[in-house]
Amino acid sequence: MISFGKIAEFINNQKIDVDGIADTDAFKQYLENQFPALKSMKYKLALNKDIVQENTQITNNATIAIMPPFSGG
Amino acid sequence: MSAERYNRQIILKGFGEEAQQLLLRAKVLVIGAGGLGCPALQYLAAAGIGHIGIVDDDTISLSNLHRQILFTTADIGKLKVEVAAKRLQEMNTQIGIIRHPIRLQKNNILDIVSRYDYILDGTDNFESRYLINDACALLNKPLIFAAVSGFEGQLAIFNTPDHLTPSTNYRDLFPVPPDKGEVPNCAENGVIGVLPGILGTMAAAEIIKLIAKIGQPLTNKILSYNLLTQEQYTINISHGEGYTLPKTTDEFLNMDYQDTSEGPQGYIEIDANELVKLQQLESVILIDVRERHEVPVLDKQIFTQIPMSEFGAFMTKEFYQKHVVLICQHGIRSVAAAEAMQEKYGEAKKIYSLKGGIVKWRNHFLRS
Repeated sequence: MISFGKIAEFINNQKIDVDGIADTDAFKQYLENQFPALKSMKYKLALNKDIVQENTQITNNATIAIMPPFSGG
Repeated sequence: MSAERYNRQIILKGFGEEAQQLLLRAKVLVIGAGGLGCPALQYLAAAGIGHIGIVDDDTISLSNLHRQILFTTADIGKLKVEVAAKRLQEMNTQIGIIRHPIRLQKNNILDIVSRYDYILDGTDNFESRYLINDACALLNKPLIFAAVSGFEGQLAIFNTPDHLTPSTNYRDLFPVPPDKGEVPNCAENGVIGVLPGILGTMAAAEIIKLIAKIGQPLTNKILSYNLLTQEQYTINISHGEGYTLPKTTDEFLNMDYQDTSEGPQGYIEIDANELVKLQQLESVILIDVRERHEVPVLDKQIFTQIPMSEFGAFMTKEFYQKHVVLICQHGIRSVAAAEAMQEKYGEAKKIYSLKGGIVKWRNHFLRS
């Protein structure tokens, strides 16, 4: 699990055992339960370096990145 | 063209005279002459991009100088576009620099963007970023997106198809803008000067790669950069759903980009002179919405402190004053507070927000 920006302040880069979590929708649910601050934030997931646009099966040893929008300049 | 000027890149294997000619024929628009725009502009001008447009309606302030490296202390108060154009023209006399000292809005952006081949978004707010994204998508202009937050940056190229993916846009990543105040910007959150320096320079490199057709530009990819670890992480972007992109000029003009300078907003943005006048009124409350640790500390006899973190609770209470003046460090959070108040009170109270905040009117606040 790799996280960026404000999200990295409460979700560290870490190995998460997602036994029983089969897909990205379930993973989103899991994250929002674990980290309620996410519920009111805009963010995007990437599974093995591909943006998640629809519910996708999570395979063994997958890397999931979570990214918020940045606007600063 | 003086070949001597560009000699070191022309002799570069894989670049050459042909690539240099492509740069000289290119028209690049840099939106925002700030922390990202300044370094990008320097390298684009030096490299010999033939026509460079600069858009910015802001003036230079002291707190810009640690990251906006085209400006000097003597330039404070001057228009960024003017100072930047002069510096760049002195550096490279053989290119054209076009000044656009305006704020891009729905009614002027299409005209300006359509005159250029490549657009660099180096702005500092989501309203502008969605406006620019949609305009570039509508006009099919390659858009180089750079943004920073904290010690991290994001860099991407949109509206440019590659052999794998038809062109994507920013809404494929984030379909709708965050709510006001959800994501802090540099003025609120702070930024280390060298970070936009790096991202702005990387953005210039991507534009040069696109124009000269060299290497693998970040087309349909977003790169995350971490200054503290020097780590980069690149993610492939694909087409997403859950958003509407304006398909025609009419649809574009009907979009809501929450541009506060457009249309009736209800609350009023004021300057320090108007603040002084309002202070004389009978029924007025002056509210400082900054957090308690922020400096300078204002006179609590005059300014009631209600930090944004406590503003929700305050909004559930009633108060008698008819005029409400909201201030913060840069006039961004105070706009969010003004919008919330306007929504609650409508015509019942007059709501004001100090434009530019305490930083812009520093002298006024230090005096009083």
